[in-house]
Amino acid sequence: MDELMQILEELRPDVDFADETALITDGVLDSFDIVALVGELNDAFDIEIKPNNLVPENFNSAKAMWALIEQLQDE
Amino acid sequence: METSILNRIDRTCAQYPDKVLFKDENSQITFAGFDAMTKAIGSFLAKLVPAGSPVAVMSGRHVLTPACFVGAVRAGCFYAPMDGDMPAARLNQILGVIKADYMLVDRAHLETARALDFDGELLVLEDIAETEADEELLRQRADTLCCTSPLYVIFTSGSTGVPKGVITSHLSLMCYIDAVGKVLSVDDSDVFGNQSPLDYIAAVRDIYLPLSFGASTYIIPKNEFAVPTTLFETLNREKITALCWSVAGVELPAKLGAFDVGKPEHLKKLCFSGSVMPCKYLKIWQEHLPDVLYVNQYGPTEATASCTYYVVSERVDDDTVLPIGKPYDNYRVMLLNDDNTATPEGETGEICVSGPVLALGYYGNPEQTAKSFMQNPLNQNYRELIYKTGDLGSFAPNGDLLFHGRKDRQIKHLGHRIELGEIEETAKKVAGVIDCCALYNKEKATLYLFYTGEATSKDIVLYFRKNMPAFMVPRKLVQLDALPALPNGKTDMQTLKNYFK
Repeated sequence: MDELMQILEELRPDVDFADETALITDGVLDSFDIVALVGELNDAFDIEIKPNNLVPENFNSAKAMWALIEQLQDE
Repeated sequence: METSILNRIDRTCAQYPDKVLFKDENSQITFAGFDAMTKAIGSFLAKLVPAGSPVAVMSGRHVLTPACFVGAVRAGCFYAPMDGDMPAARLNQILGVIKADYMLVDRAHLETARALDFDGELLVLEDIAETEADEELLRQRADTLCCTSPLYVIFTSGSTGVPKGVITSHLSLMCYIDAVGKVLSVDDSDVFGNQSPLDYIAAVRDIYLPLSFGASTYIIPKNEFAVPTTLFETLNREKITALCWSVAGVELPAKLGAFDVGKPEHLKKLCFSGSVMPCKYLKIWQEHLPDVLYVNQYGPTEATASCTYYVVSERVDDDTVLPIGKPYDNYRVMLLNDDNTATPEGETGEICVSGPVLALGYYGNPEQTAKSFMQNPLNQNYRELIYKTGDLGSFAPNGDLLFHGRKDRQIKHLGHRIELGEIEETAKKVAGVIDCCALYNKEKATLYLFYTGEATSKDIVLYFRKNMPAFMVPRKLVQLDALPALPNGKTDMQTLKNYFK
């Protein structure tokens, strides 16, 4: 989780990832943030995020992203 | 010949009254509804503002925003669209250039507008939308327009740190719209899927192609681009046939694997522009949609959206480099050497454009206008202005124009044009930044900022987020003890590029 927070902090230092719960729904992260983020998460955690994973529920909060990473690592 | 875009808008509104013109996720407007709305806005404005005045417009991603634009035109005025999501500092810079007495805002942006340094009067769209049309007044105002009257002022990055307002005439816009409409064979069966922000130059296609050809445009919600499966579902639900997107927008679904789960079933044409298309992504589109017409476009805002086009007739490979093709109707393109002589056939020179599509200049900036729009040095006999694009090109033996990058430090990032000098000027305003150099890693589409001084990368990014559009925020920041220098004292950019690896 620390590594994820570090990636997020570097991507968007202006966003408080600890508290935000509607990152996608509220448009805090835009499509270009998502493209950059997906690439970095795939590399950092050795996972492959699929288009079906790219739904707001999986990216609306850091916690949800971490759950997705853990789930993909188990597969 | 048409004297303004109002001629064609009146025609299509009369021909397709009940047809949906614009639609967004919450609402829609027919041609007749649009006609009435623009006349209401125009009548209200015409009682306040003299013909020929600028009207600032700050309105969201919805169907009424184009009605604000055309409403201003009905009052004999021209509009300056502003993106309310941009930081206040940026919007204030734009207001400082345009110096409008009136700003049209939708209610959702009223708070934002009130917080700006704006001395003029705010007019709330929802409050004036019911104004009774004053047909006589509108006719008088329409008569003040001729085809070279300004239509809009759209702002783009300026290397000195102040955005430049490019003024485009009715004539230029109609030339472009007719030319691109012909290449794409646009007709009243087309439904466009708008991606571009409505205040940006690329949106002129989504706004004025339907108004010219009786087609429709669906304004795609911005956050759907982050959810590729939803994006394609939307394109299918709305039966979208035509997309005029930035290259960055075309890349997105291919990058995020959207074709693994679906495809846009109704799509017939896709034209793209804004930067060089990496063909590994276009290849994915072609594999899944082989019968779609793909058109590569090239051109600066100063020559009205796009000046050349190339119909992709071949199946591309990962390493295919697309030509930028032939000039559109009413565009002339030539190459010049640095000493203003003609570039010999086959060699590389600066791409220069002439014709009725040239912008009227930079708003309120005669010096910059004179520098960028100059007499054709090859023509000694009559007045013929050209715009020097700063782009390098050469002609292939078959007459197709090939693109070879920039002469200066302007880049294209996420479909937007950015002067690296403007990034540096902005960074130098951050407390604790002494010196800096902005560079662009094209391969990774990442904006880098190298800097010296005490500031943390967080300080710098926060300053940018507060003052600049999101696409101008550097993504990688590298703090150095000193910037590497060449013997002549200039920054050694090649050494800095080693950090890209």
